[in-house]
Amino acid sequence: MVSTAFGVAASLMIFASVLITCHMIFVRGVLGQSTIWQTEAVIYLMIGATLLGLPYVQRLRGHVGVDLLPQLIPPAARRVLAVVVMLSTIAMIAAMVWYGWEMFHLAWKRGWKSESVWAFPLWITYLSVPLGFALYLLQLLADLWLASFGPSDELPEPHPERSPD
Amino acid sequence: ETLKLSHQWSEGDVRHQVAQMVADEVKAANVDLEIQIFPNQTLFKAREQYTPLSRGQLDMTIFPLSYAGGQQPAYNLTLMPGLVKNHDHAARLSASPFMAKIEDIMTGDDVKTLVHGYLAGGFGSNKGCITKPADVQGVTIRAAGKSFEEMLAGAGASISSMASSEIYSALQTGVLDATNTSSESFLSYRLYEQLKCYTPAGETALWFMYQPLLINKTTFDGLSAEQQKALTDASAKAEAWYLEQAKAGDAVTTKAFADAGVEIAEMTQADFDAWRELAKTTSYPSFAASVEGGQELLDMALSVE
Amino acid sequence: MDPLTLGLLVAIATVVVLFSGVSVAVGLLIVATLFLWIFDGPRALEALPELFYAELNSFALLSIPMFIIMGAAIASTRAGPDLYEALERWLTKVPGGLVVSNLGACALFAAMSGSSPATCAAIGKMGIPEMRRRGYPPEVAAGSIAAGGTLGILIPPSVTMIVYGIATETSIGRLFLAGVLPGILLTLLFIAWAIFDTWRRGAASAALVSARYSWRQRFEILPRVLPFLAIIAGVLYALYGGVATPSETAAVGAMLCILAAIVIYRMFSGRDLWVVLRDSTRESVMILFIIGAAGVFSFMLSSLVVTQSVAQYIAALDVNRWVLMAVINLFLLVAGFFLPPVAVILMSAPILLPIITAAGFDPYWFAVIVTINMEIGLITPPVGLNLYVINGIAPDITLRQILVGSMPFVGCMILAIILMCIFPGLATWLPEAVMGVAI
Ligand code: NA
Ligand code: NA
Repeated sequence: MVSTAFGVAASLMIFASVLITCHMIFVRGVLGQSTIWQTEAVIYLMIGATLLGLPYVQRLRGHVGVDLLPQLIPPAARRVLAVVVMLSTIAMIAAMVWYGWEMFHLAWKRGWKSESVWAFPLWITYLSVPLGFALYLLQLLADLWLASFGPSDELPEPHPERSPD
Repeated sequence: ETLKLSHQWSEGDVRHQVAQMVADEVKAANVDLEIQIFPNQTLFKAREQYTPLSRGQLDMTIFPLSYAGGQQPAYNLTLMPGLVKNHDHAARLSASPFMAKIEDIMTGDDVKTLVHGYLAGGFGSNKGCITKPADVQGVTIRAAGKSFEEMLAGAGASISSMASSEIYSALQTGVLDATNTSSESFLSYRLYEQLKCYTPAGETALWFMYQPLLINKTTFDGLSAEQQKALTDASAKAEAWYLEQAKAGDAVTTKAFADAGVEIAEMTQADFDAWRELAKTTSYPSFAASVEGGQELLDMALSVE
Repeated sequence: MDPLTLGLLVAIATVVVLFSGVSVAVGLLIVATLFLWIFDGPRALEALPELFYAELNSFALLSIPMFIIMGAAIASTRAGPDLYEALERWLTKVPGGLVVSNLGACALFAAMSGSSPATCAAIGKMGIPEMRRRGYPPEVAAGSIAAGGTLGILIPPSVTMIVYGIATETSIGRLFLAGVLPGILLTLLFIAWAIFDTWRRGAASAALVSARYSWRQRFEILPRVLPFLAIIAGVLYALYGGVATPSETAAVGAMLCILAAIVIYRMFSGRDLWVVLRDSTRESVMILFIIGAAGVFSFMLSSLVVTQSVAQYIAALDVNRWVLMAVINLFLLVAGFFLPPVAVILMSAPILLPIITAAGFDPYWFAVIVTINMEIGLITPPVGLNLYVINGIAPDITLRQILVGSMPFVGCMILAIILMCIFPGLATWLPEAVMGVAI
């Protein structure tokens, strides 16, 4: 549920980038006025969409991987491998949450701004790093639960087109 | 011991050569110290060097200090219109109490300067020549630097922000009328192919950017006395060379533009004063308001003869 | 440790980790983190999120979701079937006309979509069932769509060209132009094969039902292709008419496609619009996550001096430049079997570019070579995005059948690579004619 909500948020951020970029082209080309904030805003929206979209794409099994080996080995071994992969993924993402929080915290504490005329407070965009990875971590933990204790036909498969969505 | 030095330019660039010179001299000093250079943003991205430097993840960098103006607003003074008149003035500014003040701020971020250096730039335009404020009225321009954007907007230009790598095609297709950047960028992006008039940095120039060679202070303090001496000796030598090259670089760019048949305009002292008057009502007050003690710092810089 | 040995270790570790079934992005992060930790010390880990963030901190990346939206918006309408049907009515007399129509529709659709899976899905949804209904073997139906769909990344716009442009700091506008003629060449090769194949089958193909159309039917469908052409014209005007920079043009295209979907194809329901956005978001986030992770990975390679040493080592080998090119092609081909195009380009371009420019090859020409290799990778297992799409459209066609059907097209792609090597002007002429000699 939470993953889907942030998936919607990510989609809206991408859609907002479309509108803002068109707005920028209009303001510059037709009105002949300055465009100060648009380029930057679009970059922050894209970064935000990527990170906040991570849990949703995980839920849809949309992150591609090489599943040759898992398909070749017997189901019991496949389950063990899946759990090992999950645990390493979780450890990796947890590290990103941890260090991402530090990065956000530094920008927030010291009041870093973007070096443009707009001077956007960077903590807002930096926050998407720990937040996005934390949500991704939650989704992974839910998947791990499913992979370890769920019925074997519910093993997560890495292909988007075969997802139950 | 090996120190990592990262920067954003190609190996032909003067700033790479400054780094290379320091690396060669230090190696020749035979003090068990080596500097490994990562050019072309192969380690950190152009604008992302300062944070790793101050946190000790990167040892050295050559870096336009104003890129870090979002972290330390005082650094915006190192790319401020009308603050520097010419390269000799820039060298005096580097040795002034004003720069000492800037270095104090750097020390707070665990950063130390090894080589001072300013590079100059000019204006290029497809809508007449840009020498005085009235020339940018209604012109769509891409300016390098926040303070320049504020001043140009004050002169009635419309500011368009985009990555420097897009300037060429934006000028080509007419998205942009004009641009304002360093002599080195004018040359390396081959903007003479797209511009009708170029106003170079000459006797007087408006656009000067401070681009020093920096080192993490903790890293420097951790070196032995001989290593530190080798590094500072090499830096002193490189600094003198950097100044010479900065002067020569403007002439090289101007020649390339003239050879390409681009009209060359000249900024007079009266034009410079007009820009400075404009900056006094736009960029300067904006800067003074953004930093505590900003006015005082600005006055210190302006008082350098 | 010697950087070359280290490089070998990294390569082995990467293969092992990726084969475990972990997602590509996380796999790259894990390998990068382990090596940084061991060889640069634990402090290097502090920089991980910053490196990830910095890699995504680029306006040019905007065009990736934008070009994906373009394809998805149009794919959700009748535009694909219209286009395909128009071609079919005109080409029905040609041997293998239905296959030719499908390939042509893929090529035209590729001129609007930046992604191959999107192209594959847009044309295949109608094309595959129709071909099978008319008696074409499932191999031919699935293979031609899988292969035709790969044109999405060769004919501009192209997501992989954008990624290449960002990784190598080459002009994206120029890369797009470089893809035009090779894209047409490859389409023609595909079509030539389809015609030859039908002719070769001879008697067997007599069973195929060839629909008959009157001239009236042929002309009345043409207006339905117009919105399509209008969008392409609009995007080209925005790009070359002084309206927008190359990165911004993508947003103009996305906007035009969404508007066309709503105004012309009457897609009023919010739900349909959401499906377009959801699918685009899923593909974009997947690609952008890999891009961010690959940024961390290439930082590790560079920080441990692997990139520089490998490039120097190969340059010092002093082999014949065409031997070098053959080896590079083999490498790209094998990498493409296992990894999605974006990952291959991001990981290899920084190493390969200095090598190939030193050997006197043109970086824009090389982009086309890389792209065709990546097209092959899209229709080969174990990771072939187009295979998944075909599997979604026609679940009853087996992987083996798709592969058998697409093998001849892989042959066409290899032939195209060889032709590109003999006539490099195919890639370099158009960009130079339009934009002048490369910077
Ligand atoms: Na395309
Ligand atoms: Na593949």
